[in-house]
Amino acid sequence: MPQWVNEDMGATSLAFDCDAELMLRVRDGDGASFALLLDKYRVSVAHFLYRMVQDQAVAEELAQEVFLRVYKSRESYEPSAKFTTWLYRIATHLALNWLRDGKNERGQERLDDVAEDGPVREVADRTPTVEHQMVRQVKLEEVRKAVAALPDKQRAAVLMHKYEEMDYSQIAKVLSCSESAVKSLLFRAYETLRVRLAHMA
Amino acid sequence: MNCPIRSQENREWLLDYSAGRLDRERTAMLERHMEACPVCARFVAEQRVVWDALSQWESPELSPDFNRRLYHKIDQVQPSSWVERVLRPLWRPMVPVAAACLLILAGVALHTPTAGLSPDTSHARVESVEPEQVERTLDDLQMLRELALTPQEHTGTTQPM
Repeated sequence: MPQWVNEDMGATSLAFDCDAELMLRVRDGDGASFALLLDKYRVSVAHFLYRMVQDQAVAEELAQEVFLRVYKSRESYEPSAKFTTWLYRIATHLALNWLRDGKNERGQERLDDVAEDGPVREVADRTPTVEHQMVRQVKLEEVRKAVAALPDKQRAAVLMHKYEEMDYSQIAKVLSCSESAVKSLLFRAYETLRVRLAHMA
Repeated sequence: MNCPIRSQENREWLLDYSAGRLDRERTAMLERHMEACPVCARFVAEQRVVWDALSQWESPELSPDFNRRLYHKIDQVQPSSWVERVLRPLWRPMVPVAAACLLILAGVALHTPTAGLSPDTSHARVESVEPEQVERTLDDLQMLRELALTPQEHTGTTQPM
């Protein structure tokens, strides 16, 4: 274990140490360590990107770009921040750029369609009745639309807070803003969602 | 405790409590407060609806060939030979140096009379630079000469190269 690792660190920090240690090995040319990091984070990164752009094909392409950038940056990697902070900073940057460049027209159109090949089909329960499934699908569409309607940065903050279980300081580091700014983003985002999803109680 | 909504202090406790992420001590404090504060109690109830709704939203699975496609892209960006691996880190710093050399050579060429560019002098100048740069520079010089001679061609006074 490297000297900069504090033995008193908590579980989260310990995870950071492991990931950073793996990344340092990647820097030294260890492909197996890269494979470990990829296996550990590819699903969560791809899911985060999917919820950001709401298009599965685009999300996978962006997720590939994230890991490609991680690999290409290996030689200059320094463990100055948590590995996941760095990883999600790349992912968020790519997603925000993609959304900003207006490449999301197709995705927005799909939101208004009845998603036949989207995530709804995959999460549908096998046992319930057709009626139950339809109700569930309608609800999920409403959730997707409500999240999609959030401003990009608010959406990123909510997704990291809800699904990646990041704390406010880590979200702040990923978004390069202050912790209080993150709290404001989250409060505004959840306020919008509370209004839009109130009927789902 | 002060009301998190009215005082704007510790507002995040309400989010953390709704998500089940607030520690025991703060949970007890907030629950005591909510017994007397319907505003906060309502906030938590509504926030839990949002939280539960978001929990139902799952993402599709990744394509089975995700890794294969990624490694294919990695192979494409990796230097193929050891020569490339050695030279690759040097390439970027050399770009401004090469550009500066070209600029200097172009400047010298522009300020040198055409007659002065005899094969002997140009040969002496290029000995210290890379062959590829020399080729490029000679191409540039050729182009400059042609550009310089173009008006004379129209008047029929073109000098032989």
